[in-house]
Amino acid sequence: MLGIAQIVAVLMVVAVSPLLWGITQTVKARLQGRHGPRLGQMYWVIAKTWTKETTVPEYSSWIFRLAPSIGLAAILLAALTIPVGGRVPAGWPHNLLTLFFLLALERFWVGLAGLDSAGTFGGLGASRVSTLGTGVEPALLAACGILWQVSGHTEIAPVASWFATRPLGALPWTLAAVSMGFVLLAEMGRLPVDNPDTHLELTMMHEATVLEYDGRLLALSQVAMTLKFSVVIVLGWVLLGPNLPSIWANLAIRAVEVVLTSVALGWIESRFSKIRYFQIPAYLSLAAGLGVLAFYLIAGG
Amino acid sequence: MFSLQLIAFGLLTALLAHKRQLSLFLTLVLSLLILAAGIWGLGHPVNAVAASPWLAFTPLRSWFLLVLGIVAVMSSWYRFGYHDHERSTNFWMPLFLVSMMSVILAQNVWVFMTAWESMTITSFFLVVTDHQRSPVLPAGYIYLIMSQLSATFILAGLLIMGSHLHSMNFGRWTAEASTLGLGLKSWIFALLGIGFGIKSGLVPFHIWLPRAHPVAPAPVSSLMSGAMIKLGIFGMMQFLLIDLGPSNRLWPLILLAAGAVSSLLGVLYALMEHDLKRLLAYHSIENIGIILLGVGVMAVGIDWHHPLLISMGLAASLFHTLNHAIFKSQLFLAAGAVEQHTATLDADHLGGLMRSIPGVAIGFLMGSMAISGLPPFNGFISEWLTLRALLLAASHWTGLLAVFALGVAMILGLTGALAGMCFVKASGVIFLGEPRHQVNHRPIPRSMTWPIMGMAVITLALGVAPQPFVHIAGSVDPRVALSAVSFLLPVKSTLLAGLMVLAVGLLTLVSRPWRVREVPRWACGRVPDASMQFTSASFTKAIRTTFALIYRPHRNLSKVGRSADFPAQLLYRGGTVPVWDRYLYQPTYRLVWHMSRQSTRLQAGPVRLYLTYLLATVGLMLLLLR
Repeated sequence: MLGIAQIVAVLMVVAVSPLLWGITQTVKARLQGRHGPRLGQMYWVIAKTWTKETTVPEYSSWIFRLAPSIGLAAILLAALTIPVGGRVPAGWPHNLLTLFFLLALERFWVGLAGLDSAGTFGGLGASRVSTLGTGVEPALLAACGILWQVSGHTEIAPVASWFATRPLGALPWTLAAVSMGFVLLAEMGRLPVDNPDTHLELTMMHEATVLEYDGRLLALSQVAMTLKFSVVIVLGWVLLGPNLPSIWANLAIRAVEVVLTSVALGWIESRFSKIRYFQIPAYLSLAAGLGVLAFYLIAGG
Repeated sequence: MFSLQLIAFGLLTALLAHKRQLSLFLTLVLSLLILAAGIWGLGHPVNAVAASPWLAFTPLRSWFLLVLGIVAVMSSWYRFGYHDHERSTNFWMPLFLVSMMSVILAQNVWVFMTAWESMTITSFFLVVTDHQRSPVLPAGYIYLIMSQLSATFILAGLLIMGSHLHSMNFGRWTAEASTLGLGLKSWIFALLGIGFGIKSGLVPFHIWLPRAHPVAPAPVSSLMSGAMIKLGIFGMMQFLLIDLGPSNRLWPLILLAAGAVSSLLGVLYALMEHDLKRLLAYHSIENIGIILLGVGVMAVGIDWHHPLLISMGLAASLFHTLNHAIFKSQLFLAAGAVEQHTATLDADHLGGLMRSIPGVAIGFLMGSMAISGLPPFNGFISEWLTLRALLLAASHWTGLLAVFALGVAMILGLTGALAGMCFVKASGVIFLGEPRHQVNHRPIPRSMTWPIMGMAVITLALGVAPQPFVHIAGSVDPRVALSAVSFLLPVKSTLLAGLMVLAVGLLTLVSRPWRVREVPRWACGRVPDASMQFTSASFTKAIRTTFALIYRPHRNLSKVGRSADFPAQLLYRGGTVPVWDRYLYQPTYRLVWHMSRQSTRLQAGPVRLYLTYLLATVGLMLLLLR
């Protein structure tokens, strides 16, 4: 029963992720006075890309051809480790550290593929994505530390129930939430760190890594991008949100939460501009610092 | 016990150095025997107190013997195809192996120090194999001097220990050393910690490492980085943790801090390197730091009497020792193959080697994933264990100590991400993309590719099914009877690896990446060429500016041409400051040099001056002994 619920939940996350992406884009467009694309536009984009001819740049090796599969597989596995409904069956891997290592695996292959494309943009994207990763990981570990403090291990599911039964104090919770929010924004590749809408080489990160991709391989990358977006949102809510005894109630709550988050992201993206690339370390250090502060408050000064 | 026979066998092999094939074969046999001895030792735990007074097996020693054995077997196999035909390597290699084995198995101070010194000397001669090339001899001398410094500290520490325990037998030490006073323990900790720290290349004693490893032949670098520097860790674990037991509570914190500093600075310096072997040497510093974090957690457990921390720290550090030995020698052997293939190690001259040496490239790539701690490779398991051990320590403490432990864990996370970036750079710039310069390619024999691939398979196997090894590693210290597997369970590495293979396979089948068309890459309408690709310097530009405080980068842009406003050519030179060399070692060097110059005033005088000294000494003695 639990296993079925978990698989259904993960499939739901996979299925709705282009829709969540669409919600954010639409809200953003409306706030900017544009009509914007349809809500389901991302599904059509992926389907269209899939049917196009697949080309690869000359000089690229099988690394370039395999990287989208490995990247998407890593994100899928990361999605599987999240107890979307608050609980997982016994023996299910649901470890937060493992999840972060899976995200690092995806980043590693994105970087390799960028360098393998033998062009300027690939290297540029690879360099930027890797640099971003170096700032994200310490902040994520601060989150791990907080979870360990409240639960005694880094498995996600019992942590979630801990938040329901004995909530954190208001101040540590807020600090942890702001810290997680900052770092997850960076991890999902949205403003203020990366702008998924831009094609200007001065600003783009993710777009630069997929510039040489086409056809089916590009479609895989697009699925991975939208999936990572929703996985990160769900992860944030599983860690910080309320948790009820019933799995289905939890799933319903998650659904409301992620839709509201997508709307909020659209609002954020139309209110804030992208920060300079060289200021990203400061932004992520702030996230990590807030996380450490929350940890200190929980660990008892 | 057959350890003495093994030593005799090693000496015999050294004497047959003039017959190349026979010598290579016998060295391989010797390595296999060392490996067998390690495995045998793990299966036969011996009571160290009752063992032979010269050489003895304990679980901890057997583990390090296993590490040495695996690296030695692969390096010896690799030497069949390696281009180094110097007779001196054939002579020193078996001696080096035998002395490392004796260091591990030594049961008293005299055997230990003799083996330690002969390990230093044999490795020095191996490092300077290629002594006609320009930087080799100075690098070798720096290595020798640092090693002698290390031996001095170690000897001092061991003699203090021995004189207070009234025994030079390590078996007795294990039984009795925990009764020593805390003040004395601190002295021993400082002396041995510095001594072993120098040998394992901890920052700030690391300067010999990025000099000596790159100039040595690849199998030697592989052995030094994979096995020899681990013996410093071995010494710390054996003498400082297992023998001494609880000591001053400041020491675990110092160990953790030293581990964090070494791991972070090691990887940061590695990022700025474009010489492949120097890059790998800096990564050895980083990984020794990570191992030391595990050792530090173990020390915390010993001092705070927390058995779970002890066995977690032990499992994390020992398993990372094994893992690092394997993937680092895999990477060094691959680097040697690249050098033999292209006659250069400068990443910015290479590129696209995936097509000409695919086996080496895959081996290097798998090693890169392992050293970056990515699933499903072994580095993932041991970094995961280390992180978990650190978080456990953080939850054991409160307040600022907890924040300290979390900070160390965060530094480890940063280190992991930087290592990933560095190996994206190394594999990407060297093996992927378009060749940056036209270089002549020499074919690589199979006997060089197979050991690399063999190591790659081991790294994968240890990452997919780590449980038995972690179990052994966690139970090496007989005083902690906790099963280490229990805390490894949540990682589910086998399941993860299976799911990953399944997912990647399905996605690949669906996306059919073999049915693609090759097109020119996008170059904004210009004709694409190799110089458009990112180099190792441009790839790490943002890191250089972010960590400017550590790197102190400098750049110099000069204009060539008649007009200052419209120069014909711009020359860019950039680099970073070697901080430790400039601000620590060069002043020390100048001070020592200055003092020795001053001392010549006393020494280089006429005979009557010496007679005066004699007279004054005799007078002083008469005065004192009156």
